[in-house]
Amino acid sequence: MLTTLIRRELLDNLMTFRFAAAVFIILLLVVTNTVVLIKDYEQRLASHNAAVRMHQRQLQEKKTYSAGTEKLFVDRPPNPLSIFNVGFDKQLGNEIQVSYNYVPSLWDAGMHGSDNPFMDMFASIDIVFIFEVILSLLALIFAYDTLAGEYERGTLRLVLTSHVRRGHILLAKYISAMLCLLVPLLMSLLLAVILLTATAAISLNTDDFLRIGGIILTTVVYLSVFYLIGMLISAATRRTSTALMLSMFVWGFLVLVYPNMILAVVPRPEAPQERSASAFNEIEQMWEAFDRDRKHFLTTDALPGEDWHFKIMGSGWYGAYLWGNPGRLSYTYKSRMEVDTLNEKAEPRIPHAQNYFGFLGPQVAGTADRTWFIRKSALEDIFIQPANVERLYLKLSPVGLYDAATQAWAGTDLLGIRDFFDAARRYRQHVIDYFYDAEIFRSRQWFSSDKGAADWRNLPQFSFQRVPVNTTAKRALSDMCLLFMINTALFIMIFLIFVKSEV
Amino acid sequence: MIWHITKRELYDNLNSLRFALATVLLLGLMLTNAILHLREHPKRVQTYHNGVTRHQNRLANYAEDSLYKLAEQGPGWLYKKPSDLRFCAEGGEPFLPNNVEGGFGRWGKGGEQRLESFWILAYHSATPDLHNVRPNVTKVDWGFIIGYVLSLIALLFTFDSISHEREQGTLRLMFANSVPRHTVLIGKFLGALISINIPFTLAVLVNLLFISTSNDVHLGGEAWRRLCLIFFITLLYTCLFLALGLLVSARVQRSAVSLVILLLAWVTLVVFMPSTLVSIAGRSTPPKSAIGFSERSADLAEELENEYYALRYDPDKNLTQIQVLQGAGEYVTKDAAGQERLHAERLKQRISQVRRARVITQISPVTTFQHLLESFAGTGFERHLQFLENVKSYAQQYRVFIVDTDQADPESLHISGVREGMSQKPIPLEAIPKFEDTLSFSKDFNTAAVDLMLLSLFVIILLSGAYLAFVRVEI
Repeated sequence: MLTTLIRRELLDNLMTFRFAAAVFIILLLVVTNTVVLIKDYEQRLASHNAAVRMHQRQLQEKKTYSAGTEKLFVDRPPNPLSIFNVGFDKQLGNEIQVSYNYVPSLWDAGMHGSDNPFMDMFASIDIVFIFEVILSLLALIFAYDTLAGEYERGTLRLVLTSHVRRGHILLAKYISAMLCLLVPLLMSLLLAVILLTATAAISLNTDDFLRIGGIILTTVVYLSVFYLIGMLISAATRRTSTALMLSMFVWGFLVLVYPNMILAVVPRPEAPQERSASAFNEIEQMWEAFDRDRKHFLTTDALPGEDWHFKIMGSGWYGAYLWGNPGRLSYTYKSRMEVDTLNEKAEPRIPHAQNYFGFLGPQVAGTADRTWFIRKSALEDIFIQPANVERLYLKLSPVGLYDAATQAWAGTDLLGIRDFFDAARRYRQHVIDYFYDAEIFRSRQWFSSDKGAADWRNLPQFSFQRVPVNTTAKRALSDMCLLFMINTALFIMIFLIFVKSEV
Repeated sequence: MIWHITKRELYDNLNSLRFALATVLLLGLMLTNAILHLREHPKRVQTYHNGVTRHQNRLANYAEDSLYKLAEQGPGWLYKKPSDLRFCAEGGEPFLPNNVEGGFGRWGKGGEQRLESFWILAYHSATPDLHNVRPNVTKVDWGFIIGYVLSLIALLFTFDSISHEREQGTLRLMFANSVPRHTVLIGKFLGALISINIPFTLAVLVNLLFISTSNDVHLGGEAWRRLCLIFFITLLYTCLFLALGLLVSARVQRSAVSLVILLLAWVTLVVFMPSTLVSIAGRSTPPKSAIGFSERSADLAEELENEYYALRYDPDKNLTQIQVLQGAGEYVTKDAAGQERLHAERLKQRISQVRRARVITQISPVTTFQHLLESFAGTGFERHLQFLENVKSYAQQYRVFIVDTDQADPESLHISGVREGMSQKPIPLEAIPKFEDTLSFSKDFNTAAVDLMLLSLFVIILLSGAYLAFVRVEI
């Protein structure tokens, strides 16, 4: 019986104008935008590659290790799945300096690659945004008359005279409409994936396909939420014209108004000032303690005077200072020496300088590591927590949930971006380990290139892999579960209304 | 007769669910808009005033020192005056810088004679906050409320106005009387227009009441004139969507089909077309990259420096003191002019790219409408260009002032670019030209004229389309 019902509903839906229109419009929008988005991705990739080359060149040009550590940058490649949901991929920093004297984080990153900052004025869209707007609209257009229409025409009474259970009618309507809506969705997504794989610049691996699968699954669940909302309205109002008006306004509110308005209406949580000040104070004190140790070392070593560069004068640059930024809680000791040629008089001082820098390097790296523990938790409290509260408000609408879940799948959410900075921190550790192993802090090339320049060939290489797909799935899971729960709740509500209603 | 039909439509609409929902939605949005404006605007005004004070303090400081110092350091940061009508159109202002740096010291060179680089106009970009991990907020401005929400409401009010009557058969009944068709159409059009404008006007009045009664924000006479124009443009814009609704409703047999067509057309025109077109237009010719710019700038600096050193330390020439000064002055002024030209060129390229993108997006009526709103609200890109014009003419004025004052000093050697060659006397602060950013209504109107005509053209085409469709339709 159920299959008969489904078949009837399916034929009903497939023959309609709205189905044809849905297929046409979704295909048109998704394909044109995918082409444009791929172009955009290629451009970002090119600018990433240019930045990588530039950073490598700048590093090679540095002849001493202490100068080179200021030019050791790693770059975040653009995420190919940002075509689906751009998230934070374009917005947050994409280059970061890796140095022994501080622990890199998202808040120290810089940005390369924006050719024309004015162009940011124009909103950019991604495939998930298209689905967000148009699939929800289509789901409501499919749903508004599904029950109300039958009430009005009296066909429902007719159907119920035969031995059909009301639950089956609901289920048949739901399944058939969802099948119909899946046609344009899957067609357009398949075309998008085909376009992606046909692009030379993009190579997708199995994990990426699984992630795209996750995005598709989330899209289906999102679609189902809006179909059920439409059905609920249809069951509750019993008149098509009322159901239609109500659906349209609900759509306008959930999709257009709520995501734009909510953050403006709720008081935005302010970053806790005291927390920030106390953490910065603590970090500052640790560095000052380091500075005292450093000065103590200089006063007690064999050479008289507190001169940190041991009066090793030649031609070149040198500079050393403590530097802090309270806004970002960053604090560090920078020392850099870049001497090309040395005069004779300096030669006996060289071993002392090597001894000092051999002491200084590990001290600086250690202090940076110790302050990072304080900084990490403070950054979490100051920046991440308020942002998470705001994100929670957005998730009160299914649109927000869908956006968050697809971001997590695509790896363009905040966690996905922060993975890169985790990798940068691990890389910093490798670099420091290499410096220890090769005794680079203690080497002459740390400050002077008069007897051979620094050798950057053996430096560990940076590589960044996105987290495996099961971690991604875990991140998306909570939002997807919420979407599922909304589905179930809506279905139960429709069922209760429909079962109890007089025909 | 028209009035009769209009009245009937009006009564029909006033009792409907959509009227109630539209009222609630518009009121809520307009209230949010007012509250947000009252919360944000005083901060912006404060920033501007702080900027202006800093600019004047800087001038006062250097004026006390000498004319040379003024000529070398420049006027400092010049701030854009925030518009009082920012709640009407936000216009991408967060992505536009609110100042231009008229300073930008780049180098100082030691030696027996200290040289300092002269000031240039540097157009910094509004750096997006790279550390902002909070979700983005789209501002709820009038452009959004009218452009998106009101246009959707206009379609919801008209999608069934003809097709529904045809389905019920009442249209045939009406034409049994001697009513000309165009009368019916105009009556329906006016009925829908009035019934949409009742909740909209109400919401606007509440919004303006909130804003104008607040102590922090002052709306002057000019602002009200601009608001009246904005209201008129809104009428035109709603007419466009009403005409579209009537056109489709007249052509299509069933109201359900009419709605589907209209909604999909709306989504395409309003939501997707602007951003997709921009992406296509923006990608076409990317300007020379930022990396290239800094390299060109460094090349130019090096070239001029080498030229200068070659002249200065040429052992063959025995330069007199005056010649040395002239050489140094020429070097400094050439360097400043060259660097400023590079900055201006980059700005020009960027502007022309944005201009192209803006022209292409005007195919979508919502973009045309938003451009109009921006022009009259004094925000957005065209306003930014006006600000840049103001800055340029001020820079010109400032430079002329420096030269004139230097000429007037008999003790000066009139060699621009070096301390020894210029007047060393302090300058009275009142004499120095000060920067004041102004908004000109006539200029705004000129930039908006094309958009206005374009919007009118859209409306006329759609209205005549609706008329033709309705006159020729079989009932």
